[in-house]
Amino acid sequence: MSKGTVFNWLVYVALMGGAWLWLAGDKPFKVTGMFLASGLAIGSLYALGGIGMVVLFRASGVLNFSAGAAGAAGAMTAWQLGQWGVWPPLTWAACIVVALALTLFYGRMIAPLLAWRETVVKAVATLGFALIILGLVSFIWIDDPRSLELPTDQIGVRLFGLRVTATRLLAFAAAIGIVVGIWLFLGRTEIGLQMRAVANARDLSALLGIPIRRVETIAWGISGVLAGFTGLMFANLIRLEPVVITFMVIPSIAAALAGRLNSLALVLVGGLSMGVIESVLTLSPTLKGVRPIAPFVIAALVLLWAQRGAKLTFGGRD
Amino acid sequence: MDRSLFRITPSGVSGLTFAALCFVFLPMLAGSYWLSIFTSTTIFAMAASGVAFMYARLGMVSLTQVGLMGVGGWVMLRLNHLWDLPFEVNMALAALVTMIFGWILALPALRMRGLYLALVTLMAAGGLEIIFATYQFPNGGEGFWGVKIGSTNPFRRPMLAQSPEAYLRYCIVIATLGFLFIEAHRRLFPGRAWALIRRSEAAAMAAGVNVTLCKTRDFGISVGIAGAAGALLAGSLGLLDDGTFRSSESIMLFALAVVGGARFWLGAVIAAVLFRVLPGLLNTWGVDTDLAFVIFGAGLLHALITAPNGIAGQVYDLVAKLRGGKDDRD
Repeated sequence: MSKGTVFNWLVYVALMGGAWLWLAGDKPFKVTGMFLASGLAIGSLYALGGIGMVVLFRASGVLNFSAGAAGAAGAMTAWQLGQWGVWPPLTWAACIVVALALTLFYGRMIAPLLAWRETVVKAVATLGFALIILGLVSFIWIDDPRSLELPTDQIGVRLFGLRVTATRLLAFAAAIGIVVGIWLFLGRTEIGLQMRAVANARDLSALLGIPIRRVETIAWGISGVLAGFTGLMFANLIRLEPVVITFMVIPSIAAALAGRLNSLALVLVGGLSMGVIESVLTLSPTLKGVRPIAPFVIAALVLLWAQRGAKLTFGGRD
Repeated sequence: MDRSLFRITPSGVSGLTFAALCFVFLPMLAGSYWLSIFTSTTIFAMAASGVAFMYARLGMVSLTQVGLMGVGGWVMLRLNHLWDLPFEVNMALAALVTMIFGWILALPALRMRGLYLALVTLMAAGGLEIIFATYQFPNGGEGFWGVKIGSTNPFRRPMLAQSPEAYLRYCIVIATLGFLFIEAHRRLFPGRAWALIRRSEAAAMAAGVNVTLCKTRDFGISVGIAGAAGALLAGSLGLLDDGTFRSSESIMLFALAVVGGARFWLGAVIAAVLFRVLPGLLNTWGVDTDLAFVIFGAGLLHALITAPNGIAGQVYDLVAKLRGGKDDRD
């Protein structure tokens, strides 16, 4: 791990610690611990969304804005199946399958048509797909207050004198587990090696005989599964509403930017710190109302910081 | 360069004729319901022209145009309830403040490649949505945010345009001026610089183009136009609602600017008509308005993949074909 990476890690930890000391330092942990727990859970969701984006972006050059919409479609399907009395584990699986199918459809059928266009055009095209999914989902399930229960909501775990629901722990553990898993996958398997090669130089990898379509399909698949899982967690922990879940991509982008669209570990730490800062801002009387913009402000500052003194250069591709 | 500033093109003539026809006939034909729809369509056409210009000339994607209209509208309402300045002065100030605000927002991205501006503006759209929902728009109350519960203080419309009909005409004139301003800007600065940046920033730099300055200037113009459009929107009803400025609206306006055809004035008009009129029509026909999302999304994909000049480009191609092959775009 290079010096720069360690420094970046520390920046996020320091930001989180600073916000904590400022707003929660003088209050007992019994009160403030709740905010830490919910912040880590929300932050895990941001990080999960960001990880899905970064994995796909690195392998295929597509920044997928439709991950939220795919997650929303999955979560609504899970809710609907639940209403029909389907065995719960099947509904969760359905959520992931729907998100996976939608993402793979885009990755196999539409993304190749834009493979040689500018990065920003590829990204914007996924917005078109997101609008289509969002329109269909809102058409099928009209606006209505709904909620998605998971059995883990009922299980509480005592940690440091706090009762934390197992769903939150699950989201947190999943975020960490997935980062470790993907890191191992990229570092230890042949497909992972190929994926890193494609991320570095797509055309050179093709010349070397790497099956680009297969590698990209796997990346789309990973991102689809992550979209489904994040959608399910988001629907449970925050709100089951298609528009809200669709636009969870915006804080996910903030988390992805925290890792400069590149480093998974930084996406995780950045996402977690954004969640905690957002949550702890509830304690501030003036900033309480606008706390959801905390991730965006942090991401913008990170971008500014990352390009200090930098100039647009000839290096790299357009 | 100056010699060509007042060059008359067929597209320009048809655009001005269209604006003149709208100016004369639209207020006469429309009932009060359609009057307000046409007014907001005109205003959104103006805002769409800003995004379209940036996308067509520089390939820059701004996903927060409607959010920035909200900023312009906020400043407009704030000034209206604060001092007794004329409408036009308030509108100019709203455009200026929005422009500065836009520059601050885009600061992290202007020195980076195109993708980052899209990301930063998308985050800005999300952030503005939250801010508007939290603080609402000024309606004559006390304090910085100027919000009070219940009644709303009166809004002063421009001296020239007190009635809704006159206000629609007023908006058409301002929107036309906005289009002409963009066109003048396009003619005054070397088109090669834009073409180079669009093609490759590295090549543009090698040719001596100041890429950052060029992007900053054009983004500022687009944002300033959004600010003025927001100010006009505030004048339409005298108050604003945060639901108008959601991030999904910004995304749709961008999508429609591409669908309409970002290179042409007609494209911005088509975008605004689809944006404001299509949901209304779907509603009238008893079709779920959510399906508008599906149509717009599919339109965006179609335009990006196979029809880079959008609907307007296809219309122009058709006209050119009918007239015997001469291509008279721009």
